[in-house]
Formats: sequence, C-alpha cells, structure tokens
Amino acid sequence: MRLMPIVAIAISLSCRAVATGSSDSTSAASSTNSRDDKTGLLVAGDSLRFVQHDENLPAGFPLGVKPIVVTNPYEGDKKAIASGGQLFIAYNCLDCHGAEGSGAMGPSFQDGRWHFGGSPGAVFESIYQGRPDGMPAWGGRISNDQIWMLTAYVRSLASKDLSTENFTGKTVERTGH
Amino acid sequence: MTTVRQNARQSLVALASLAFSVTVACTGAAKSGTADSASDSVPRATSTAAVGTASVSGARIAVAHAGPAGEWQMPAGDYASSRYSELSSITPQNVGNLRVAWAFSTGVLRGHEGQPLVIGNTMYVVTPYPNVSYAIDLATSGQPLKWKFRPDNAQQAIGRACCDVVNRGAAYADGKIFYNLLDGHTIAVDAATGNQVWRTRMGDLSRGETITMAPIVVKGKVIVGSSGGEMGVRGWIAALDAATGKEVWRAYNIGPDQDVKVGPKYKPFYTHDRGTNLGVTSWPGDTWKTGGGAVWGWISYDPALNLIYHGTSNPGPWNENQRAGDNKWTAAILARDADTGELVWAFQVTPHDMWDYDAVNENILVDLAIKGQTRKALVHFDRNGFAYTIDRATGEVILAEPFVPMNWSTGIDLSTGRPNVVESKKTAQDKNVKDICPSLEGGKNQQPAAFSPQTGLFYVPTNNLFMDFQALRVTYIAGTPFIGGNAPEKGGPGGYRGEFIAWDATTGKKIWGIKEPYPVWGGALATAGGVVFYGTLDGWFKAADARSGKVLWQFKVGSGVVGNPVTYTGPDGKQYVAIYAGIGGDMGLLIAGDVAANLPYDVRERGTTLPDISRWTSWGGYLFVFSL
Repeated sequence: MRLMPIVAIAISLSCRAVATGSSDSTSAASSTNSRDDKTGLLVAGDSLRFVQHDENLPAGFPLGVKPIVVTNPYEGDKKAIASGGQLFIAYNCLDCHGAEGSGAMGPSFQDGRWHFGGSPGAVFESIYQGRPDGMPAWGGRISNDQIWMLTAYVRSLASKDLSTENFTGKTVERTGH
Repeated sequence: MTTVRQNARQSLVALASLAFSVTVACTGAAKSGTADSASDSVPRATSTAAVGTASVSGARIAVAHAGPAGEWQMPAGDYASSRYSELSSITPQNVGNLRVAWAFSTGVLRGHEGQPLVIGNTMYVVTPYPNVSYAIDLATSGQPLKWKFRPDNAQQAIGRACCDVVNRGAAYADGKIFYNLLDGHTIAVDAATGNQVWRTRMGDLSRGETITMAPIVVKGKVIVGSSGGEMGVRGWIAALDAATGKEVWRAYNIGPDQDVKVGPKYKPFYTHDRGTNLGVTSWPGDTWKTGGGAVWGWISYDPALNLIYHGTSNPGPWNENQRAGDNKWTAAILARDADTGELVWAFQVTPHDMWDYDAVNENILVDLAIKGQTRKALVHFDRNGFAYTIDRATGEVILAEPFVPMNWSTGIDLSTGRPNVVESKKTAQDKNVKDICPSLEGGKNQQPAAFSPQTGLFYVPTNNLFMDFQALRVTYIAGTPFIGGNAPEKGGPGGYRGEFIAWDATTGKKIWGIKEPYPVWGGALATAGGVVFYGTLDGWFKAADARSGKVLWQFKVGSGVVGNPVTYTGPDGKQYVAIYAGIGGDMGLLIAGDVAANLPYDVRERGTTLPDISRWTSWGGYLFVFSL
C-alpha cells in the first residue's frame, strides 16, 4: 500500500445522504468465525469486523423511539474501498494509523476494536468531527463521499485476532542478566 | 588541505595502555546482508565488556554546576550537559549492595524519558502527558507528597506528537520549577506551593507544534524549543523571562536571516556556511516554511562564552526529492548568544539529510587536551553515527569518527565538515534503499551520554539498527504528519541491538562496550565514585565500572527504562540513585508492537524490530530510588 502514488484529489463538497430511516443494515453478522487456511488467522467479516460497541451509543431517547440508523452507501463496495485506501495515503492518515491500519501514533484498525464505535455511522463521525486524542476533524474539508470511502476502507482492515500473545515456544530462550 | 577520515578501519586495535573491545565496524552493504539474518530472534543477553582500565585527560568547564553537589537542579545536572555527579559514596567495591530504598508510581503509563530534580529535601517529578508534576518530601518516611500539580493540557496534543507523549524533564531556578506541556505551553510552578506562577503559549498545536524537551534556565531566562519535525513545523528556540513568562526572544532555525537571527555576530567556521538568507536559499520555493528543524533535544550553556548550544531536527518531509538543497539549518548544531538568541556559529551535521538523522542530541561541553593543546570542546554523538569533537568557540570540527556500525558514509571531510556519502545508500523518491545503518533511530537518539572528568571518558548509550528506506511523495496538510517515507528497521550486525560504550573524544575511539539485546534508549550517569549507571529497554537498571566497563550490579525494574539516572544526597546524608521506569518514546511507541501504544486497549502485532520485547517488559510509570 505504501508504494501507491498519491492520487490528486479534488475536494468536492458533494454530499450523499448520511442518514436514512431504513432498517439496520450494518448490524453484526453471525458470530461464526472461520480460519484462513494459509495464515491461520481468524477471518473477519463477521463478528470481528463488525464490532459495534453499542455501549458507545448516546443515551437520551425515551423507550420505544427507534434510533436513526446511518448506512454507508459504499459498504462492501470493493472499488470504493480501494479508493478509500488511496485517500488514506493522500490525507496522511497512514502516517498516524500505520500501513494498512497497523497502528502508529494513532490506534490500530486491524484489531477489530473501535474506541468510538465501529458502526459505519460511528466511524464516519470519528472522521467527520475528529476525536479528542488528536484525530483531526475532516468534515467540511473533504467531501462526505470521501469520508464514506475512508469509512468503508478502515472497516475493511479489521482482520486479525491479536487478543493473545503466547510466548511459549515462539521466542528464543535466553540466559544471563 | 583535505583530510578524509575513513571508517573502513577494523577497530580491533590494541593501543598501548588501553584494552579495546571489538567494534563491529559495518563497512558496507556486503557485510550487512549477513547481519542478524534471523530477524525474529533475540540475541542472548550477553553483556560482555572488555577488561582493562582507561583514562584520558579532560575537565568539566568552569561554573558548570548549579547548586550543591548533592542536588540535581537542571536536566543534565549542569550547564555542560555532563551528567556527572561529584558524589562518591557508591563505589565499584560497594555497589553490589545497592538496594531499592523506595519507589513511586507516577500514575501515567507513557514513555518516561527525562529525569527527576532534587532541590534541598524535595524531589520534583514531571510525568509524560498529561504532564502532572509532583513534589516529593524526601525527609519524611514514606516519601509523602508536598504537592501535586495538574496542568491544563489540551488532549488534542496526543495526536500531534509523533513519537509518544514524552516529557524530558524540568529545570529549577529562583524557587520555581519550569517545564513544558505537550500542547505547546511553557509553565512555571512555585516549588514550595505547587501553584502555577505563569503559563505562556509557545507552540501552535494546529500546525503540529508540541513541546517535549526539557528547558534550561540561563541568567533569568527559560530556554525552550519546539517539537514537530514529522509534522512540517518550522522549528524555533525561544527565551522567556523566568519571572514573568514573557517571551524575550525567538529564533527560527529556517527562513530569512532576520527570523534565524543571523547578523553581525554570525561567524561560521566553514566558508560554505557564509552568505545571506541561507535558511531560504538552501530550499526550493516556499518549502522552508514547512521544513522541520525543530528543537526537541537538550540545550547546553557555556557561561564563559555566553553561548547556548542546541541541535535541530530532521528536515521535512523525509522525502529528499521535495526539498533539493542543503536545507539549512536542519540537522545542525547552532551556537547562539544566550542573551539575544543571535546566531554565532552553525554547523550542519548532515546537510540535505535523507535518512531522518536529526542532530538534536546533547552537546557536552568539556575542555580536552588534544594533540598537546587544550581545546574548548563540544562533544556530540549524532544520529548519523559519527561522534564529533568540535571547537565550541568557533564551530570547527576537530575530529569525527563513527561510534557505531555505519555504512551510509565513508567519513567526514575535515576541510568542510561534510560527510562523504556512499552513493548506494542515498535515499530517493519511489526507491527502496536497503540495509542502511544506522537506522533512522540513529547511532544514538535522545538518550543522553555522560562525561566523567575522572576518566576523561564519555559514556554513551547507543543503538545498532538497520533500515530499508522508501521515500514517497507527501502533501502538506497542517496538523497531520508530513513524513513521506517508510523505513522498516531490523537489528544491525553482530547480533545485538544496542551497546553502552565508553568513548575517548580526544582520539575518537571506543574504549569498552557492554552489548545489549535492545537499543539502549535510557541515558547515562557518571559519578565520582567511579561507577556509571544506565537502564535498558527490557527493564534492567545497571551499574558498571567506569574504567573497565564491567557490570557490577543490576536490578530488574518494573518496566523498560527510557529515562536518565540522577544521583543526590538524601536528608540522611546517604547517596541515592534515582531512575524512571516506563517504556515508550519513539522506540516504544512505534516499533514495539502494542507494548507502548497510546491507548491501553489498542492491540497490535508484535513488532519485528524489537522481537520479544513484549515478553520482557510492559507499560509502566515508576520512579525507583536506590541506596546502599
């Protein structure tokens, strides 16, 4: 990814609808994970990729009021995800979040954990309005369309189960000190 | 006359009275391929040291100390940045009896670079972001707090700091503690009450300016500088009135002569450094406006010459293609008038840097006997792998020799001070240049060295890493990283990643070395007892014989050490040694997996540069204090 030439991106202010009243199209799929034959890693796409963290949703609605569900017009769109990957480099996201979202100054996207919510709407919001630890607010500086592409891209990166680090038998034993 | 020093020598050189350990001189790409091919293996922790004794002649500069010998009033202990203490109770004979006296949790888990201060019977500690400060009562059993100060410090600063949210310490003067906040403020706190006396906004966070360095106080002025070399800042150094916090002067390191404070006092040693507006003309177009040259390292002061000395960071972006020219004054050492900030001399250590070789490392001021002459010297161990012995009055390079394995340069041309660069190690846009050493972490980074006038030797914590370097085109967007490069690192030749060495700056030779499995990212302390101290990234705090380099004592502290030891006399008259434990900084944050990620719940893959580090240590934030 790092070798991709920077694409020139015109800042367009075209907006797509960011909120719809439609039913939840972003909810977690089944919790069944499978393992990739080659890498042995958990294949995301279900629970890993779609961690929602509902506890991050704001409170305040009376019982019975259905919350507005935000959908990403580019969710799962391979072409848009590729464009999002180019934007990720062009807007210097990579230098904070690491190559393919591996984590650097800013948090990792590969671990499937979302500090401010992992739904498309929550990720859009993180990019649009920024976050207190230093994530800049991009809303109004780049188009909402581009933010949706970035949203689709970063959500596609959650692919690794890194929960356990087991050192037994995997590291060189050493003596001394 | 052109004298080109070659580093091709194999330094298995035995000199008459000195026993040398083997320097693994990395003399080119041919060797690099064989170095540490098993990048996922960690070398055995064989701390090997040469046996033998050594000393050369050298003296600390006059009026180098501030306060009594038993106190530690400024970051490096003195203006000369020597990190030497006259305390001598702890000796090679008794250091084996060193025990933990007490410990303190700072309440913060980020990289604990820097060091505490001790004034009277009080110790002062500044934490990484949010930069809380504590006054600890040393005279009462249990070391209760006298006060705790929690500054207003913008949370946005976390995402503007390239290399962890570190703070390298405070300085004391006139009853006040001075330090910098990550969000770009300099503050003064009443040492007795913990009340904020003044607070001055110095950096612009929206342009990526943070502050991590430790100030020094010179003649009633607090000297501070900016961080942000990876964010496209235009670096500056400034002086504030210690009494009021009012800015007295500010000098940029890039830009027109007026901004850089180039005037009648400016007399560089080398002819190519003479001229008008070099801080503009050595850059294409307006690129100087986002060219880096920050001041995030250490500052020294020579009272006799009334000069302050500071380094400047890498040019921005890393991609050299976007900034043809020398890029003055990035990656340089500058000498400025302490009263006005006027530039007196400048020496560009790495002109047109293309490897991220900042020159911010400390400048240690000593008077050295070189070739029968006493020279007013400045000794500087640069990221680029050369140790420079410089005339601090004029900026003349007296000698420059590699102190770590290196292959990007064949030596320094002493007629110009410029490095002879190996063509195959030049980085370029869209090219992947392999196996460059030192890596961008440098032969040494922020971890400060120490000097002992007893032995005349410098004690230097070093790194031994390689990198591949891909330079890439990048667009400047204010407040985001302006880097344009990708540089994965791996262990250097010889199967070790760091070494604690003793260095003779009169000859440019290594006297002994203690090899470490990881880069030695903590600083050094030299003492009149003949013992030197340092900590390791995997959490060992060690004492070694200053003459032989033999490790005499070690203790596994609670987290990796990236801080600098200090020593002081306690209220009971005993000698104490204090060190922070808390892995982090660039070394922890960026290449140690999630051992030091910014958020505790961030989960990352193990880094390949420091394989295994997460097995040996994890986050921490402690102060450990030892005594006999």
